[in-house]
Amino acid sequence: MAAPTFADVVAEDLDAVYRYLVYLTGDRSAAEDLAAETFERAFRSWRRFDPRRGAPRTWLCRIAHSAAVDWFRAEARRQRREETYSRDDAQIEESVFAEGLSPELERALRRLTPAEREVVALRVLLELDGPSAARVLGISATACSTRLSRALQRLEEEMSDVRN
Amino acid sequence: MSGIEFEGYEALVSELRATAPVAPDRLRQRVLDGAPAPRARRSKKRRLALVVVPVAVVLAVGAAFVHGFVKSGSHGASANTPPLAGISSIVSNGGVVRHQVEKRALAPVNKQKTLPSTYSAAGDNALQAAVPAAAAGSLNALRIPRNRLVHATASLEVRVPGRSELSKATNQATQDVAALGGYAQSVRYSASHDGGGSAVLSLRVPVQRAQTAIGKLGSLGTLLSQQVSTQDLQAKLTSQTSQIGSLKRAIAVYVTALQSSTLPASQRAILQIRLNNARRSLSQLEHARKGTLAAGANADISLVLVTHKTAAAVTHHKEGRLGRLLGDAAHFLALEGIILLYALIVLAPVILLVALGWWILRERRRREERLLAGA
Repeated sequence: MAAPTFADVVAEDLDAVYRYLVYLTGDRSAAEDLAAETFERAFRSWRRFDPRRGAPRTWLCRIAHSAAVDWFRAEARRQRREETYSRDDAQIEESVFAEGLSPELERALRRLTPAEREVVALRVLLELDGPSAARVLGISATACSTRLSRALQRLEEEMSDVRN
Repeated sequence: MSGIEFEGYEALVSELRATAPVAPDRLRQRVLDGAPAPRARRSKKRRLALVVVPVAVVLAVGAAFVHGFVKSGSHGASANTPPLAGISSIVSNGGVVRHQVEKRALAPVNKQKTLPSTYSAAGDNALQAAVPAAAAGSLNALRIPRNRLVHATASLEVRVPGRSELSKATNQATQDVAALGGYAQSVRYSASHDGGGSAVLSLRVPVQRAQTAIGKLGSLGTLLSQQVSTQDLQAKLTSQTSQIGSLKRAIAVYVTALQSSTLPASQRAILQIRLNNARRSLSQLEHARKGTLAAGANADISLVLVTHKTAAAVTHHKEGRLGRLLGDAAHFLALEGIILLYALIVLAPVILLVALGWWILRERRRREERLLAGA
């Protein structure tokens, strides 16, 4: 089988990377910027990518994870600098994670931590297997499984709270 | 995801998957458009470096050659001016007359009377014979006036073939000066094993015989350079003599007046004070006049004898315009190098810190990229 071109990878995995980043950051515009940055970084190291060692999606998610970590750091610095920083209520009310998502699920997702949303995105939305998701997160497969289990349970609890 | 069981789990997963966000078209376009950008930026930087560095080098070397060309041209202009009886410049300033003879102007004249022939032929007799020739060749225009009191100073640089000739010439110079009624104030002689060496003599010669002494000293070898300065002291001496005469006459008047018995006490006191002042001034003026006479009595001659090797080392770069150009350009390049080195030394700590930071960042990025490539 011929090796995929960069354009093929973009066409195949852009949605997946974007989803992952939306769930991780909880911010669509940031996710867009980070997705663009992810593919820019990916392009720079495209020559060194070996498809035999892993799927492009896993590789891209790893890059996206790294970019997102940088973004979180910058965001934390920015929040510290701007003491008046707070989320806009109108923005909170509008759908962040997906169009057509039930309000309960939307609110429940918002109450999860980024790490919990991240593992949900990787395992549920992107359907990565345990070891691949673990490699993206930089943790063991067991820890990844545990994190996912806790995230889903918490999601379920949050949804119950919202319903009640 | 086996092992995760709770009520509504399947519905939850289905809803999440069904409503998964989709990347907007503008993001897709942005990614496809922006992908080649980093490679283009990097190549642009490289191209810039490839242009800037050679341009800087060419500018530095070009500036050095332009500087060398301009400088060698200015030297050449003075060298090409035909000398008037071996004198390249005459400066007159407030009674000081200076005659300077450049080595380039005298070289052809002295090539005909180099030391080996005069020395090896017959010693002192040959040397004596060479003196008028030297005087006729280059020193006629440097005549020191004998009918007026002048203070003369001269400096000569003479080249001799080797170390043994240097020693002989040094001794000869002191003997010649002694024979003319002068003396050597100081002699500093130095010679090395490789045949190089020099002797610096500070000589004093009666000013009436200074011309002869200069001629003799100049003929000890090849005259490389010569400078003679004369300062007229006659006017000063005349003025001092006149003032001394006036003071003597005034003193005589005061003494006569003080001998008068009808002089009032107050005027006597005033005259006594004036007499004392006049005597003191007279003493000072007489002392100054003695100094003026002493200054005009002897000429100070500074003689530098150098061996052929030392002189060649000193004058090597002045052989031709091309040589001067290259030498000046090399000096300018060296100066640029020194400035660059100085700047590097001063900026070294900053450069090191920046380089270290850049290296750390690069390593971090590479490690990240290796991890990403291996993921």
